[in-house]
Amino acid sequence: METLPIIYLGYMFVSIYFLSLFLILYYVNRKNLFEIPKLTKKYSVSILVPAYNEEKTIERTIKSIFSSDYYLKEIIVLNDGSVDSTGNIVKELMKDYPKLKLIDKKNSGKADSLNHGIAIAKGELIAVVDADSYPEKDAFSNLIGFFDDPLVGVATPFIVPRNDKTFFERLQTIEYNVIAFTRKLLGYVDAIYVTPGPLAIYRKSALEKIGGFDIKNMTEDIEATWHLTKEGYKRKMCLLSVATTTVPKKISPWYKQRRRWNLGGLQCISKYKKYFLKRGMLGFFILPFFVLQLFLGLLGLTIFFYLFITRSLSRYLFTRYSIQIGTPVITMDDIFITPSFLNYFGVILFILGTLFTILVLYIMKKGMLKKQNIFNILFYLLFYLTVYPFIMIASLYHYLNGTWRWR
Amino acid sequence: MNQKYIFLYALIVTLIFFNLGIFLGYMFESHRVNKINEFYVNSEMDLLDQRIQEGAFDVVNIDCNAAIKANIEFADKIFEDAKQIQKFEDANRINKDTIFQHKRFDLLRTLFWINSIKIKENCNASYHNVVYFYKFNEPSIEQKAKQRAISNLLTELKEEKGSSIMLIPLAADNNFPSINLLLEAYEVKELPSILIDEKYILTDFNSKEEIEKYLD
Repeated sequence: METLPIIYLGYMFVSIYFLSLFLILYYVNRKNLFEIPKLTKKYSVSILVPAYNEEKTIERTIKSIFSSDYYLKEIIVLNDGSVDSTGNIVKELMKDYPKLKLIDKKNSGKADSLNHGIAIAKGELIAVVDADSYPEKDAFSNLIGFFDDPLVGVATPFIVPRNDKTFFERLQTIEYNVIAFTRKLLGYVDAIYVTPGPLAIYRKSALEKIGGFDIKNMTEDIEATWHLTKEGYKRKMCLLSVATTTVPKKISPWYKQRRRWNLGGLQCISKYKKYFLKRGMLGFFILPFFVLQLFLGLLGLTIFFYLFITRSLSRYLFTRYSIQIGTPVITMDDIFITPSFLNYFGVILFILGTLFTILVLYIMKKGMLKKQNIFNILFYLLFYLTVYPFIMIASLYHYLNGTWRWR
Repeated sequence: MNQKYIFLYALIVTLIFFNLGIFLGYMFESHRVNKINEFYVNSEMDLLDQRIQEGAFDVVNIDCNAAIKANIEFADKIFEDAKQIQKFEDANRINKDTIFQHKRFDLLRTLFWINSIKIKENCNASYHNVVYFYKFNEPSIEQKAKQRAISNLLTELKEEKGSSIMLIPLAADNNFPSINLLLEAYEVKELPSILIDEKYILTDFNSKEEIEKYLD
């Protein structure tokens, strides 16, 4: 058997594995997918809001937090050297909200700001809320019950894109839904590998144990989750706890965001590589999963370029000869191709992937399917996802060159 | 609840579906190989019949028109078969028995070519033998592109000229002593090459007309 079909089969094996894993997890847990952990104890909760030039959103973020149905001890805005009017807006709001505090500091990045916040926060639990995210009224109360289990270190909600009017935003909405759904399922096997920035509630003692957030990492949320996993803490998710966030409206900020996520992932792989195939879920699932993603992405792109170049060259030479000897460049035989069984296999997998995505959208939110037509879903599967490996390559390039920064 | 056993369940499910897929794929490709085999068996019988006719020239008077007609029909049939076999061969990924079948067909076509030469001599037939020698094993990108273009050109010629040409594509690099002998005898040194009526060898040509002038 030739090399390429073996590689294709390898990809298919991995795809079937993850599809099976998620479908079995869904089937086993379908009745308690939207379960909310019971609130049996009262916890004191401090909210940290790191903010850098967030004058457009900070007011609504703070108001959303204060509309919470859970008692919140304090809300600390960590103004990370904003040059706009973020600080002034917060100061104005402090008049109406006595629990609101403002820490003005020099710009030092999100992770460092959060570490400042952790040092002064008084709550047993610390919720981190991005300054452009709006937690819903019950977002905190629906998560806090998880902390009755002393091993739970962090809990995360369902992050929903607030802006989903344009085609590009709708593609991201599909993506966020699939991510949230699969994250919830991974929670059942203690395999959640990120608690995203828009909202996550941490046990303060757990954060102190891991020494706070890693200021060198581009994605402090991924790093903290991996660190907590390494220390044996559980990560939980509740689909009925919802926070909305603004997703990038244009390709350029979207690309920068994704590149940052990838860079953070690469930093985490590098930092925790010694735990590969060791230390519970971090070494046996999370790290291999990330490494596999990276490997398959790189291999896929290499094959893509190899095929693209050889086929283009072949097509060019064929066209040149055909023109030279005066024979048609396209014949009926070129149109009626004879498919290989790999083509059929691929089509079946693609159909299953599409059905899985439709299932996710159907389960996740009523009305989601109405907003998303089949074209959006197919475009998401056929084109949007195929951009991932390209971003991965760019991130790897920047990572190896050291040419990356937060902003 | 610890559900980590699901990782193992997923692996078992994957192994079942993956192996089922491979099995079905193998069956699917084997079906194609069987089809090629069917073509081969039928062609082999037809050719055997041709060979008997050709051998009978020395013994009894044979109706040349009938022999030529049978030869042309057989040529058309193996031309169509060759196209179909090529498609199956390109599409088969696991079952590479098509390569073996391809080689068998090459020998069959060689036999047909020899038979065709003899019928032409004995019956003074007017058709042209056009033998297309190409590289089968690991051709370079350039060779592959050139061969594809020539193959299209010859197919076009065959469709235009119909029964007046016997198009016989032969893989020339499978190391069959019989084909090697013929290559040597007709001084075919480069691949791809076209041998017309066992006289003219064309390796580099710039137009269809260059071939057509030998066929008119």
